[in-house]
Amino acid sequence: MKNLMKGIVGVKYVLIILLFIFIAGLLSSGEISDAKLENVTEKVVKEVGTEKLSAADNRMVKRLFGINANDYEGVSLYVAGSNMEVEELLIVKLKDTVQSESVEAAIQGRLERQLESFEGYGPEQCKLLNDHVLDVKGNYILYVVDKKAKAADQAFQKSL
Amino acid sequence: MIFSSVFFVFLFLPIVLLAYFIVPGKLKNVVILISSLIFYAWGEPVYIVLMIFSIVYNYIAGIEIDYHREEGRDGRVKFVFLMSVVVNLLILGFFKYYGFVIDNLNHILPIEIPNRALALPIGISFYTFQTLSYVIDVYWGNVKVQKNLIYFGTYISMFPQLIAGPIVRYADVEEQLSDRRVSLAKIGSGAAWFLRGLGKKVLLANNIGMAYDAIAALPGDEVSVLAAWIGCAAYTFQIYFDFSGYSDMAIGLGRMFGFDFMKNFDYPYTSTSITEFWRRWHISLGSWFREYVYIPLGGNRVSTPKHIRNLFVVWMLTGLWHGAAWNFIFWGIYYGVLLMVEKYLFMDILERLPRIIRHIYTMLLVMIGWVFFFSPSMGSAVAYIGRMFGIGAAGLVNPTAVYYLYNYILLFLVLIICSVPYTYKKFSGFMQRRRSRLGVAIAAYVAIFVLSAAYLVNATYNPFLYFRF
Repeated sequence: MKNLMKGIVGVKYVLIILLFIFIAGLLSSGEISDAKLENVTEKVVKEVGTEKLSAADNRMVKRLFGINANDYEGVSLYVAGSNMEVEELLIVKLKDTVQSESVEAAIQGRLERQLESFEGYGPEQCKLLNDHVLDVKGNYILYVVDKKAKAADQAFQKSL
Repeated sequence: MIFSSVFFVFLFLPIVLLAYFIVPGKLKNVVILISSLIFYAWGEPVYIVLMIFSIVYNYIAGIEIDYHREEGRDGRVKFVFLMSVVVNLLILGFFKYYGFVIDNLNHILPIEIPNRALALPIGISFYTFQTLSYVIDVYWGNVKVQKNLIYFGTYISMFPQLIAGPIVRYADVEEQLSDRRVSLAKIGSGAAWFLRGLGKKVLLANNIGMAYDAIAALPGDEVSVLAAWIGCAAYTFQIYFDFSGYSDMAIGLGRMFGFDFMKNFDYPYTSTSITEFWRRWHISLGSWFREYVYIPLGGNRVSTPKHIRNLFVVWMLTGLWHGAAWNFIFWGIYYGVLLMVEKYLFMDILERLPRIIRHIYTMLLVMIGWVFFFSPSMGSAVAYIGRMFGIGAAGLVNPTAVYYLYNYILLFLVLIICSVPYTYKKFSGFMQRRRSRLGVAIAAYVAIFVLSAAYLVNATYNPFLYFRF
């Protein structure tokens, strides 16, 4: 019994060591970024330029994507000035990665609605929409519809 | 995975129930354990490691405490117990409060400590409190040590109450883990609990949540006094129907698997004092703190200064349990102070007031409390409360407020009716008078199910407020 107990207790200490390794792994994986939303936004906006896009407020976030900006660490939205243009840029810093599923669903919903609106008469807009970038990196989500979407994504990844 | 999702309702739950009823008695807990681990891993593939650690570590700790006690080594018993409590609290503290502590240190210290905040493992606050209840009760000798790892794993990971409670104390389910009966009547009552919870969550909480979200998204200078109150009232109802709906679903699922979990809410918005409110709101958390913190500190059987200290400690911890932010801590202390004031200064006066005044007093303070709860920071909470009382508001009434009032007035009436026991008591009484009325009940529950399913299929908006705790 004594030896069995020693073995069991040994397992407990091995578990604690494994837990430390697990936590160290999580911390070094860099999945979660503490980069400031303003800095990330600034770098991404620099890539796509501000000729077509202008900053929008939380109400616009709610109207276009159906999400409440206060539920997240922060949200940046840039939209085109005209309804006939589809360029837009959304960056969401999540409070918790659990939120990513619902934000992705909201973005997909917005994308589908836009595609429906332009289907049949706006081939250029549809192409831009189909070439969109939706990138989820830990606690950050980027959604861009722009001809420079890929460059924006690279800037996004570097900034985290 | 959440209960109020198409995948859970139409696929996961039916498969698990089928497997549970097919397998023989001894394997039923294996089905619950495996399905619970899958349920958890669905949303948290990485943090399943933490869950398994918690199960195995605390299982061993229980056995060790029991072994050393039988050997008469009190010192070792105490050491293993304290180590287990510390390890559990350190895990919770690290994953939940690390970012908060580092943020605050960075504000004070001249150096910048790198802050790699980790995502919060779902349900960690709930299951850590469950493991602690087990270890503490084993140490106190209130329960026997659980030597079956499957049974212990089932208790910690049980998916019905894993991610949002109720916090089930080990002592309450100790016997049920090895011996429980499932009858058709119990499955039926479980299904009714589940459907009531689903309806509360999907039909009531989600819909009024849209009103709160819309008002919360308004810039501060566009919020009138009326709009601020509508937003606050909307959140007041959303959080109640959201959380109590989820608890009802958990209780219902538990019953389907033969378990009896404690009621977590008892019409809290009918309370006529803050003391009563906390006897009716999140009952399992209140009981946990009372049992494992308040009473061990001496409860109210100590001198007044010590009693005040005990209340202060419990309520600060209650606030902190809800979130790693100053507004949650303040929210906890706010209630601690209110309870102290009620107990030592105000209760005699309060009891002499008409019931309606006591009810208004309670709801007013509860609603102000929710502002601290839903605000992203202390500053925004104070600004919001200011607007509720005309400071910095866009007038008393503006067209936006009238628009929301007009659109949501009917829903508010439904929410008020559903917040009081009258409706459910009438319905139950009606049911019990004649058995032939069973058809009416079935029709009502089918209607809730169909409507909820329709909402779930169509709506992308399905938040869950207590997830982040």
